[in-house]
Amino acid sequence: MTDPPTTVTPIGHLAEAGATGRHRRPLVALVDADQAPLLARPYFAGGDPGPIIAALAQVPEMLEATAPFLGRVLGPSCLPARIKEIVILRTSARASCRYCVEAHTVVARDVGLSVAEVRALRGELDAPSAFADPAERAVIDWCDALVGTGPVGEDVKASLRGAFADHEVVELTLLGATTLLLNRFCTALDLPTSPEVAARLVAEGLS
Amino acid sequence: MSEHTVGGRVWMYSNYHCNMACTYCLTDSAPSSPRRALSSQAMVTVARQAAELGFSSLGVTGGEPFLRADMAETLVALAAVLPTLVLSNATLFGPERVERLRPLADADVAVQISLDRAEAAPNDELRAPGNHARVIDAIPRLVGMGIRVRIGTTLDPDADVDDDERSRLCTLHRDLGVSDDDHVVRPVVRRGRAAAADMGVRATVADLPPELTITADGAFWSPFGPTIRDGRLDTDLLVTRTTDPLHIPAGALARLVDGQPPGDDAQLGIR
Repeated sequence: MTDPPTTVTPIGHLAEAGATGRHRRPLVALVDADQAPLLARPYFAGGDPGPIIAALAQVPEMLEATAPFLGRVLGPSCLPARIKEIVILRTSARASCRYCVEAHTVVARDVGLSVAEVRALRGELDAPSAFADPAERAVIDWCDALVGTGPVGEDVKASLRGAFADHEVVELTLLGATTLLLNRFCTALDLPTSPEVAARLVAEGLS
Repeated sequence: MSEHTVGGRVWMYSNYHCNMACTYCLTDSAPSSPRRALSSQAMVTVARQAAELGFSSLGVTGGEPFLRADMAETLVALAAVLPTLVLSNATLFGPERVERLRPLADADVAVQISLDRAEAAPNDELRAPGNHARVIDAIPRLVGMGIRVRIGTTLDPDADVDDDERSRLCTLHRDLGVSDDDHVVRPVVRRGRAAAADMGVRATVADLPPELTITADGAFWSPFGPTIRDGRLDTDLLVTRTTDPLHIPAGALARLVDGQPPGDDAQLGIR
C-alpha cells in the first residue's frame, strides 16, 4: 500500500473560514413543495427533500430515474455504513465538494466515525495515523485514485483486492464514482448546506 | 394510448402571446408576453407521434394561435394527421385576414371561439373592449366559408349569470350558425391571472382530466397546467421536460394516471 497523498484539500479551503455553505445562493431555483411537479411529489411528501432532490425536480423525468439510483447506491447495502461513509467523505474532500463534505461530515459522525477520523478523511490530519485498519486505508487510497486521472496504480489495486471480494470492489468503485457525479453536480450548482447540517458542524467544531 | 383514462386529445400551446389580456387568462397572456412558441415542424412531429401512440385528436391553444402567420398552414398539416381543434379569440378574422383561413374548410379542423356572455358589456369587461362585436362579426363569416366553428364560454362562478342569460347566449350562438353540440361551457379556473384576480374555482389534479399537453417548457397534465403567474411558469402540473420523443411524457402521464386513486373522475366539469 502506498502512503496517502499529502495534497488533500482541507475543508477549510472550500469555504470561507469559519463559515459553511448555508447561505450560498444556488445557480438554479430549488423547487419548493407547492411547485413540485407530479412525478416529484412523492419526494416532497415527507417535508423538505434537500437541495439535490429540489434541484433535480426541475426535470422530473430525470429525478424519477436518478433518485432511486442514488438511494440504492448511497443507501444501506451489503457494505457497512462506516465503509460507505469513508468512501463518500474522502472522495468528496478530494473532489473539493463543499456541499458533500459538509453533509457527509454529519453522516459520518452519525455512523460512528470519530472527529479525528473525519478530519483525516477531509485532509486535515494524516490518514494513516487515524485509520489503523489496512482495509480502511486501502479504501482511502482507492478513493484518492478514483478522483485522479489515468490508470489506477497496481499497488493500490492490490491493496484493495487483498481486503475485499469482487462484488465489494465493484460496489466501492460504483459508490466512489457516483459520489464524484454528485460532487460535480452539487459544486457546479452551488447547492446550499441545510441549516441543520450547518448547526451540527458548528456544534461539533467541524465547520 | 391504451390507457382508457388518459384523454385522447393531445394539446399543444402554439405560443403564449396574445393581442388581448383577459382578466381570467390562465397563461397571463398579453401582447408583450414572451412567445414560448412551438415551431410548426415541432407541432407536426408531435401530431405524428401522437397518432402512432394511439391518440385520437389534437388541440391547439395559446395565447392567440392566429397571431402566428403560419397557423393556417400548420393546422392543415396537423389535421392531415389527426382531427384538430384550435382555440381562438376570433378578433383577427376581419374580411381580409379571414381569407387565409379558407384552407381550413377542407381540413378536419374546428375553430373554438371564446364568447362568454350574451351581451357585450359584461363580456367585454372581462375580455377586451369591442371583443363581443368582433366575435359576432367573425363567426358567420367563418361558418359561411364552411369552417366548423365551436363556441367556448368561460364563466366566473361568482358572476350573476342566470338562466335567462344562458338562454339568450344559446339563442345567440344558434343564430350565428353554431349548434348546441358545438357550445361548451366551463368555469374560470383559479390559476394564472385568474388567481391573481381572486377569480375562479380551485382545481387540483384530481379535478382536471388528464390530457397530455405539450409546450415549449415541457409536457403537462392538462391544458390547465402550464399556467403563468407574475411571469413565472407553474410547474405543479408539469409531467416531463422532455417532449420529443412523445412516448416519454405520454408514458409518464399514463403512470401518473395509473397511480390515481379509484373514483378520481373530474368533479368540476372542466374541459
